[in-house]
Amino acid sequence: MDELARAFTSLRRETEKPLPARIADAALAIAGARRAAVYLRERDRWLLAFDSAEGAAPTDPPAALFEGAVHHGGLLWVALDAEGETHGCLALDGLEGDDPTEVAAALGLIFGSVLAASRLSRLVKDAEFEIKARLLELESLYDLGLSLSGQLDISALADEVLYRSISLTDARKGTLVVFGERGTTPLARSVGGDLLPPDAVWSWDLPEGEVALNNDAARVPTAGMRLKECEKCLVVAIAVPGRRLGVLAVADKESRDGRVLDFTPADARLLSLFANQAAAAIETTRLHREALEKERIERELELAAAIQRQLLPRELPRVAGVELAGSTLPTRQVGGDYFDWFPLSRGRLGFVVADVAGKGIPAALLVSTVHAAIHLQIDAADTIVDLVSRIDRHLQRFSAAHKFLTLFFGIYEPEGGVLRYVSAGHNPAFVARANRQVELLGATGVPVGLVLKASWREEIAVLGRGDLLCVYTDGFTEATNADDEEFGLARMEKALVSRLSQPVREISDALYGEVAAFAGGVPQYDDQTLLIVRREP
Amino acid sequence: MSETCKVSVERRGDVAILWTDGYINNQGGEEIAREAYSELERGARALVMNLEKTRIVNSIGISILIEVLEKVMERKAVLAFCGLTPTIDKTFRIMGLAQYAAIYPTEDEALAAVAATA
Repeated sequence: MDELARAFTSLRRETEKPLPARIADAALAIAGARRAAVYLRERDRWLLAFDSAEGAAPTDPPAALFEGAVHHGGLLWVALDAEGETHGCLALDGLEGDDPTEVAAALGLIFGSVLAASRLSRLVKDAEFEIKARLLELESLYDLGLSLSGQLDISALADEVLYRSISLTDARKGTLVVFGERGTTPLARSVGGDLLPPDAVWSWDLPEGEVALNNDAARVPTAGMRLKECEKCLVVAIAVPGRRLGVLAVADKESRDGRVLDFTPADARLLSLFANQAAAAIETTRLHREALEKERIERELELAAAIQRQLLPRELPRVAGVELAGSTLPTRQVGGDYFDWFPLSRGRLGFVVADVAGKGIPAALLVSTVHAAIHLQIDAADTIVDLVSRIDRHLQRFSAAHKFLTLFFGIYEPEGGVLRYVSAGHNPAFVARANRQVELLGATGVPVGLVLKASWREEIAVLGRGDLLCVYTDGFTEATNADDEEFGLARMEKALVSRLSQPVREISDALYGEVAAFAGGVPQYDDQTLLIVRREP
Repeated sequence: MSETCKVSVERRGDVAILWTDGYINNQGGEEIAREAYSELERGARALVMNLEKTRIVNSIGISILIEVLEKVMERKAVLAFCGLTPTIDKTFRIMGLAQYAAIYPTEDEALAAVAATA
């Protein structure tokens, strides 16, 4: 009995040895056999797990399953059964006694139970591992969603998706390519070597949302593209409706024994889910970047608008004997129109209305240049023509090519109502007489900055008592309505003349109002600027 | 990241520190197991695995680490992990490794802890 107890104790405790070896040792000790070998039943085949006679010629077990104990090939074969299932068999040689099959049957029952318990324990462990692995998949999807929702760095995002994809599909290698925006280089991340050539995946004929499950990647190209250095692969497009953002590929699913396994439909589903999350995150990142860029531009425009507002006169100058109005209405945050007043010596009043070619920031910059040039040169210039020539030279020297402006510069002398002016390609100004007669003051030269060696001439108009000068930009006359009809010079004149009895501020407001009513809500693309000088009656 | 996981080992008394660099998959797991078993054979009472240069662990790698953990427990030794990424930390907790092996943020903390128990 001591021998039996020792044998079972060893069977239970010597856990560093594999179970088949312990079963064989116990069988040798209990039955007194010379040789014991243990075979396990795996996938309808017998697999030799341990043979006490190491190096001895192997003996094949009986081909079919058997019960109890049978003689075969010179050995006694004992089925290791439990609960009606054969878990293995024990081959014994040199068993002594009158009827060794009785002892063998008892050993079969005992060792069969031990083997069954071990297999059951392993199955339970495997099942538990599998459940945990599925839980890990779910948690990973959840975590990835959370992580990506706050992730605005595409590189970090790509790493996160790629690492989790490789990890949870047990792949040996993987590659994630995110296509570059507007001609930028694609972003590619790989583990274990590049599976996809980033420059070529643009043209890959992998339909949106489709998973390429290719378990023979070495011989069959996947969706028209052969992956590099892998046996089996799984590829999915990263896409939002109507647009491919990238490609995610994993390859060579591992097994514990070192083989490369087929990817499963469950792997394909998981990779698709990762790709969907990646697509949403990449798109969010792109939209966020665009929003930031738009916000930056808005801020810069607001700043530019604030600067430009500083260029405009804050109040009307006080000049005896005249009534003044001046205002501008930009169609964008920053405009290309400019007007200004310049109180001069001997009670004279200078004023300018200018319209810069182009719109937005470039036009605003030119307005700023013109403003600076006029303020710097006005005291040095002898005449209006001299001033305009100086501005022209300044623009020719410091402004970009094809930058020009029209302007009307006038100097009003209260004594006698004399108006000296230069109109550099500007819209004809109105002189509305107190008797409602209207004269137009046309251009006296080409726009400033347009051609080299240009010249201008100074003209004179005299305002009688109650006469009015109205200078404006083409935002008024070229304002269009829904029928694409322009407001035009005639309507402008009519609107002006019909209000001559009103204060100039009201005339100004009314002209803006008439143009707006004419446009009927149709967006206008040109700034409107209006300046009125009326000699008091 | 390299496909091949490299493992380096330093012995400090009864404690063996294993540094991994790369993907802990079948190959990486086997490499870790080989070094860990070797240190246990040489009488190590505690293993500290620093995974700060590892970003990916797959289920095969985890199953091998569980085997290593079982072997450590059979030997009445202790196993501690440190330098885990948040993803690997969570993976170890879900897969049950953290049930029998302690996880520490840093190597110093792991070494201090195992020195007290080994």
